[in-house]
Amino acid sequence: MSHPTVAEPWVAKPLARLMEDARLISGVLLYPTGKAVGQFGFSNAADVMSVCALTSAINASARELGRQLDGKPFYEMHHAGAERQVFMARCLAGSQEFLFVGVFDQESSFGVVEIYFEEFQKALEKLSPETPKPGVGPSGDFEGELNRSLDKLFGPLGR
Amino acid sequence: MKGALAETVTTLSHLPGVLAAMVVGASDGLIVETSAMKGVALGAADSRKHTAALAAYLYSKVTRASDTARLGTPAFMRLEAEQGQICIVGARDVVLVTIVTPDVNLGRVRLDMMKAAGNKS
Repeated sequence: MSHPTVAEPWVAKPLARLMEDARLISGVLLYPTGKAVGQFGFSNAADVMSVCALTSAINASARELGRQLDGKPFYEMHHAGAERQVFMARCLAGSQEFLFVGVFDQESSFGVVEIYFEEFQKALEKLSPETPKPGVGPSGDFEGELNRSLDKLFGPLGR
Repeated sequence: MKGALAETVTTLSHLPGVLAAMVVGASDGLIVETSAMKGVALGAADSRKHTAALAAYLYSKVTRASDTARLGTPAFMRLEAEQGQICIVGARDVVLVTIVTPDVNLGRVRLDMMKAAGNKS
């Protein structure tokens, strides 16, 4: 099992613990805008880029769907595939919102992932980004932001 | 189906020394049916969700160990801790989980859990 690589060191410990406790195969922590903060289980930047873009879009769609169907946004999503399952949810550190997406198989279960994600949420709530991130809001330069965060995770030559 | 599960939980939870009884999804570890947790103050943290998920996970690992040792499916699993015990019995797609006191009549709990599991499978 690979260790998480992070663009922001303060998330390394809780992310590693979530990965180990919940027996996750891979996962990405990102800003709702799609900018990656940390990842594990991925070996190339293109995959993380796809996951971030899709997670960001799915999150936006799920929130709107929740608003329309239930009057409030959906913040958590679980998809059980034949062999692998995807768990997606939000967490907060200070006032900053993050999204997490994780993949697991029969070595774990949705219940186990859910309880360890709750612990991860609590751990993150006690922490906060080391410096305020002025660029975390939608800046219009989605691709540039994504590429910069991926450079931090994999290095400029990783793609 | 839901009524039968509720009846199972009610029957098990009424046994002396049983603090909580739950029917939990074997593959996802989510609670299908549960009794209230006895002896927990109002507003105190409810550990049933965590216990259910971890008990189902533990049971799946024990099943694998038992299979590997060519012993077949585990019939009854008991985890003895300092302040109580957790009993688990598999019933196809679900597992029955009880949280019991250290001085519970374990024979009775075992018998009733096995009987309930037999009715489920």
